[in-house]
Amino acid sequence: MIKVVDLHKYFGELEVLKGINEHIVSGEVVSVIGPSGSGKSTFLRCLNRLEEPTKGHVFIEGEEITGNSSVDKLRRKVGMVFQQFNLFPHKTVLENITLAPIKLKVMSQEEAEITAYKLLDKVGLREKAHVYPSNLSGGQKQRVAIARALAMNPDIMLFDEPTSALDPEMVGDVLDVIKDLAKDGMTMVVVTHEMGFAREVSDRVLFMDGGYIIENSPPEKLFNNPLELRTKEFLSKVLH
Amino acid sequence: MEFLNSIHLALGSPLWEDGPNGLLLLLNGLKVTVVVAFFSVILGLVLGTLTALLRMSQSKILNIPGKIYIEIVRGTPVMVQLLIIYFIIFRSYNLNQTTAGIIAFGINSGAYIAEIIRAGIQAVDKGQMEAARSLGMPLSLSMREIILPQAVKKILPALGNEFVVLLKETAILGFIGGNDLMRAGNKIRSVTYEATIPLFAVAIIYFILTYFISLGISRFERRLSSSD
Repeated sequence: MIKVVDLHKYFGELEVLKGINEHIVSGEVVSVIGPSGSGKSTFLRCLNRLEEPTKGHVFIEGEEITGNSSVDKLRRKVGMVFQQFNLFPHKTVLENITLAPIKLKVMSQEEAEITAYKLLDKVGLREKAHVYPSNLSGGQKQRVAIARALAMNPDIMLFDEPTSALDPEMVGDVLDVIKDLAKDGMTMVVVTHEMGFAREVSDRVLFMDGGYIIENSPPEKLFNNPLELRTKEFLSKVLH
Repeated sequence: MEFLNSIHLALGSPLWEDGPNGLLLLLNGLKVTVVVAFFSVILGLVLGTLTALLRMSQSKILNIPGKIYIEIVRGTPVMVQLLIIYFIIFRSYNLNQTTAGIIAFGINSGAYIAEIIRAGIQAVDKGQMEAARSLGMPLSLSMREIILPQAVKKILPALGNEFVVLLKETAILGFIGGNDLMRAGNKIRSVTYEATIPLFAVAIIYFILTYFISLGISRFERRLSSSD
């Protein structure tokens, strides 16, 4: 589903990713954890080429997204949810969700709206369809952002710290939506600081530090019996 | 009584034999001022948008000409630019003063508008473009649907201010012999030896024009901010 081969990324002189190899199969839920500055967000953003890799290859469903001119087509298969939501403030909730499917001629306006209402039901916000984002709480914004990404009917969802900008009481609602998606069999890569969530939902957890994937194990193994010293140190700091 | 007399002298009676009265002269001047300001704004918007796009491109070949244009225009007085355009660049073309004025003021405001537009586009949060692109929307579509509508809101106050400045700057059109509002006031003053009425009349007309421009812009702003 997603294949990453020898991925390197420099920001100027600074090497943020130092050769990442990873293979994520269909239906897998992979959490990426690690200290800030470890390269986990950059890794995620390379998967749909929001960040241009300096070297290496990323394949989405067998097609190379790096150095491929039809990046827009491939991105339709890969939904993304951001830490800061990034809803379009000049569009209503409904327009936020239907804009891309309509403008990219994936659906007619009618189909797009039917899909949008279904998705709003799924995230529990049908009654907010005609509201502007500025009138939503953080948790509601993030749930709309998830619905917006799902509207393109992607095969893969990428989450970049989806709950880090939320008030604590909002986190649960958003995580529930993501958990439901996992149950439905969506392939997902989630960069997160929510260790409980990573442990509960993931099939696999990647621990990143200093631009490398240090450890790559199922959650019960990584959290209970980490192999690497750095993983242990990190976990002892975040799990108290 | 004396006041009414000077009004009549300055605005009501023919300024010379078979000539127009002051009021008509002012109205004709107003027409020239409005025409020059209006078409300069249009030209300025076109040049400004193109230059802003040049300035934001990654390529140096596109970027540098835009920068040179902006620096030259901002670094020299608009009066010098007007005189150079009329008396040097278009000397052999027999261009009328109104057209020369439109070209000069259009080129001048284009540089300022370019910077206003560029700042407005760059003030839109980077995440907006990323969200649009992540949905598979191409660059041009994302610009049109997501970035520009938000940039316009940020640009509008500064753009309105630029329109007002431009309108007032056209008052130097008389230096190349253009018959704008300011020049009309000066003519009345030199013929009648009466300074108060024509100068205040000119000031009031400029004020009314700029007031309505500002009012129109703030109405438009309010309509656009309905989503906030």
